[in-house]
Amino acid sequence: MNHMANGEDVLRAQIASMLKAGLETEITPFPEDSNAFAQLLQRIREEAGSVLEKKLVIGGFTDYPMGEDQQRCQECMYYLNHRRWCDLPELDVPVEPDWWCRLWHI
Amino acid sequence: MANMLWLQGGACSGNTMSFLNAEEPSACDLVTDFGINVLWQPSLGMDMGENVQKLLRDCVSGAIPLDIFVFEGTVVNAPNGTGTWNRFAGRPMKDWVKELTAAAQFVVALGDCATWGGIPATAPNPSDSKGLQFLKKQHGGFLGANFKSKAGLPVINIPGCPAHPDWVTQVLVAVATGRAGELELDDLQRPKTFFKSFTQTGCTRNMHFAYKVSATEFGQRKGCLFYDLGCRGPMTHSPCNRILWNRQSSKTRAGMPCLGCTEPEFPFFDLAPGSVFKTQTMMGVPKELPEGVDKSAYIKLTAAAKSASPAWAEKDIFVI
Repeated sequence: MNHMANGEDVLRAQIASMLKAGLETEITPFPEDSNAFAQLLQRIREEAGSVLEKKLVIGGFTDYPMGEDQQRCQECMYYLNHRRWCDLPELDVPVEPDWWCRLWHI
Repeated sequence: MANMLWLQGGACSGNTMSFLNAEEPSACDLVTDFGINVLWQPSLGMDMGENVQKLLRDCVSGAIPLDIFVFEGTVVNAPNGTGTWNRFAGRPMKDWVKELTAAAQFVVALGDCATWGGIPATAPNPSDSKGLQFLKKQHGGFLGANFKSKAGLPVINIPGCPAHPDWVTQVLVAVATGRAGELELDDLQRPKTFFKSFTQTGCTRNMHFAYKVSATEFGQRKGCLFYDLGCRGPMTHSPCNRILWNRQSSKTRAGMPCLGCTEPEFPFFDLAPGSVFKTQTMMGVPKELPEGVDKSAYIKLTAAAKSASPAWAEKDIFVI
């Protein structure tokens, strides 16, 4: 378990440094409805697969909250609070509570 | 002794199959313990051909008193209002339905098709199907909004796709034993004893609902199915998690979202691609929230619940 947690911490730090270094991600358009959301998931499955950087880019990851409502992972339905993890199967990556992506959903 | 006649219109027989699996009471109990005389039923009736026609004519004329008329399936009106796409015993079924409902003391619409039109009445509704007293949410249906059976009640609607067997047999027992007056009906003419609470009432995932932990795939034993997988449990009126299926489970307990099949809008969104098993959202927020909850309250509740959720809520707690 500790090994897994450590591995997740390492991966989380790697993602943090990629975002901090200015990785350009597709933060717009936000999928307005369920169809647009489903299309975005399909893109991730087809174009990114398990390639981390592509998941982050298509997902539109940021390392800060987004929008007027300050949307962030912390309130997202896919966020596992204690594991600090995005449980959406297409993403399935470690995250921080103050990050955001355009698959945000409550 | 109460005479019961059961016919099928535009139906898949699913409600008959469900009925035959009833346990409390069983289909046999209806006959042996509760004095129901099954005049004819599609899977149980012994008579065929002219004998059935005579039986139906006798029910219409009153030669055989018709106490309970159960109808399963839609009333088919195509083509051009003739109803000849669904003929039975020598004439359009809809003509039998018109006359038998006028002759019966009590009329029971069983299953979504008979209550609201169900899947056959989904647009474009090629069979011009209607429920007995509703077409989807619109009051009226085949018999009209003002229809009352001889005993003075409107059609008793027992929806579901199929209806749970014990909802059916318990309602039939109430009617047959003279307790129909105790059947309080809601605005959609469903017995409140079954359809006032929600499918979510008694759901084993209520803890995950409260802590806003989502299931993301079918069959997962952790997580609530409402947030992502389109579960309609919080908006659907049924006792599916109080009166369990096969006495032991329900859709949501097995990791399958509730489809809302006891509501007149079923199948929702006319089965448009992407609308089944997927929570419909607008800018990341579910379009339909649990009954009685508004959007701003939902957002606040989500933030609070997420931050308060315990670690166990993220794990599978149902250990085999």
